[in-house]
Amino acid sequence: MVTSVARRAPRRRAHRLKLTYIIVLLVFLYLPILVMIGLSFNASESRAQWTGFTLDWYGRLFNDSRIMSALQVTISVAVMATVISTVIGTLAAIGMHSMKQGWSNLLTNVAYLPMTTPDIVTGVSLMLMFVFVQWPLSKWTMLCAHVAFDTPYVLFSVLPRLRQMNPNLYEAALDLGCKPTRALFKVILPEIMPGVITGSLLAFTMSLDDFVISYFTSNTDQNLSMIVYSAAKLGVEPTMYALSTLMFLVILALLLIINRRSKLEEI
Amino acid sequence: MYDEQRLIELRGVSKSFGDTQVLHNIDLYIRKREFVTLLGPSGCGKTTMLRIIGGFEMPTEGSVLFEDKDITDVPPYRRRVNTVFQKYALFSHLNVFDNIAFGLKLRKLPKAEIKERVDRMLRLVKMEGYEKRSVESLSGGQQQRIAIARALVNEPEVLLLDEPLGALDLKLRQEMQLELKSMQQELGITFLYVTHDQEEALTMSDTIVVMKGGRIQQIGDPKRIYDEPKNAFVADFIGQSNLLTGVMLADELVMMAGKEFPCVDEGFEKNEVVDVVVRPEDIMVVGTDVGMLEGVVESVLFKGVHYEMMVATGETRWKVHSTTMQPVGSRVGLSIVPFNIHIMRREAVAIPAEGGGQV
Repeated sequence: MVTSVARRAPRRRAHRLKLTYIIVLLVFLYLPILVMIGLSFNASESRAQWTGFTLDWYGRLFNDSRIMSALQVTISVAVMATVISTVIGTLAAIGMHSMKQGWSNLLTNVAYLPMTTPDIVTGVSLMLMFVFVQWPLSKWTMLCAHVAFDTPYVLFSVLPRLRQMNPNLYEAALDLGCKPTRALFKVILPEIMPGVITGSLLAFTMSLDDFVISYFTSNTDQNLSMIVYSAAKLGVEPTMYALSTLMFLVILALLLIINRRSKLEEI
Repeated sequence: MYDEQRLIELRGVSKSFGDTQVLHNIDLYIRKREFVTLLGPSGCGKTTMLRIIGGFEMPTEGSVLFEDKDITDVPPYRRRVNTVFQKYALFSHLNVFDNIAFGLKLRKLPKAEIKERVDRMLRLVKMEGYEKRSVESLSGGQQQRIAIARALVNEPEVLLLDEPLGALDLKLRQEMQLELKSMQQELGITFLYVTHDQEEALTMSDTIVVMKGGRIQQIGDPKRIYDEPKNAFVADFIGQSNLLTGVMLADELVMMAGKEFPCVDEGFEKNEVVDVVVRPEDIMVVGTDVGMLEGVVESVLFKGVHYEMMVATGETRWKVHSTTMQPVGSRVGLSIVPFNIHIMRREAVAIPAEGGGQV
């Protein structure tokens, strides 16, 4: 008994150290965001003092036509980019899965590149390309750019599902009378659907919160991140805190859903 | 039993994957209502042969005939065969009923007929009441039954089964063997069955095709394959046996293990070296005074119905099955009747070691 009590003390100390470390880490990561969320409810426009709780800034958000049109751009681009990249990414995954090992590996590496390239490089090079083909920068060039960076996320969510799939499933569908296209829609697609959904959620999230690439590939149409950025240059109004808070919460919710889904799939 | 009519025929079928040839010039026919088993060790080409008949692989050379029509280029969805895959390959997004009804729905049969046929299949595989269950909630044995029902419900001319019982435990496997055989007889459907389990093949088949290295070694009914293996490989693969090298001294007289034995084989050249097979259950343990051979018991294993003993006679060791036990170290006589000595012509490829080669 005596020895076990004696041993427990340093263990408790180690535990307390770990806990402190995690708290410091979380504060460091989330304090700025928490401050911003707090200020978005501050009645005063000043950043220095708290004068009372208000939802005014949120109300003003929805009356600001510039913000509303940016919201529309953000959502329409995100939805379209998600749909297009989900189709392209899923088909690409199926194609790559049935290729010979060497080609498949090569393409996998090629598809990884855009994910690791810095956003600024992707953004600038896409802008140069659009200028080169003389396509005026707008919502549509932004859409193209979003499809380009969303597709790998779909691809890499679907590929593992295909690798886990029983290779006989496709053959079983043919065996029971499906033509190849039919087998794709009736058997392969339902089987990889969880990966397709996770991939499209990821793509949607990436598209919603993108700033750098959108900034370089669109002029006339601005999305929410671009609005926040240009507002910040003029001196930040609390409406921008409110807007950023809402964006943070939406992205957080999406990420929680994606995490939960991938955890469920592991089981 | 089966008809004489040939349903499926392979003519000169060869198959290569890259540089490796897995099937060498296979000729084989399967008769209507026959239960044919492709038997062989893994890598012998049996599954590839099944997949060629199912339409999932194209032969590199040769052709596949169905009722005398060439179907080599016909895709799987137009062949009147269905397959039960090794790992079931059930559709996990569909429930039991929809899995079984999959093929019928594609053919756009009326709903009532689909239901009736699925119900009949569920009764046949003893899975009534499972219609609404998800296939992932079923045990391996139950999934296998659904896979069989899903294939059989389409009333194929031929059912292809690729080691369908491989993942089940021994007792369940033996039960399913009997059930599969009785289903086959009840429905009158031709079965082509792939397995590496010789006991399974002997239990179920009308005809066994023994394969090795992409070549057919022997085709025959189970009894013939067991009693009269055509070469040392077949003898060794089917059942346990004592495999010896002998010399034919004359017709019906063979020299092995240093002694002369009368046998029933003739037509060999004088002094031709041959492979000899003697099944352990065909060796009688007798008194040392009357035995053709005399030896010492080296080990005894109790196997349930019989004892398995290793008896050494000089250089040769014999595996002997007997219902009476002889203690280790005792001297016994061994005797073999001429009919039970199987002489096989030697093949250049398979040369067993001198003495009793055991399984």
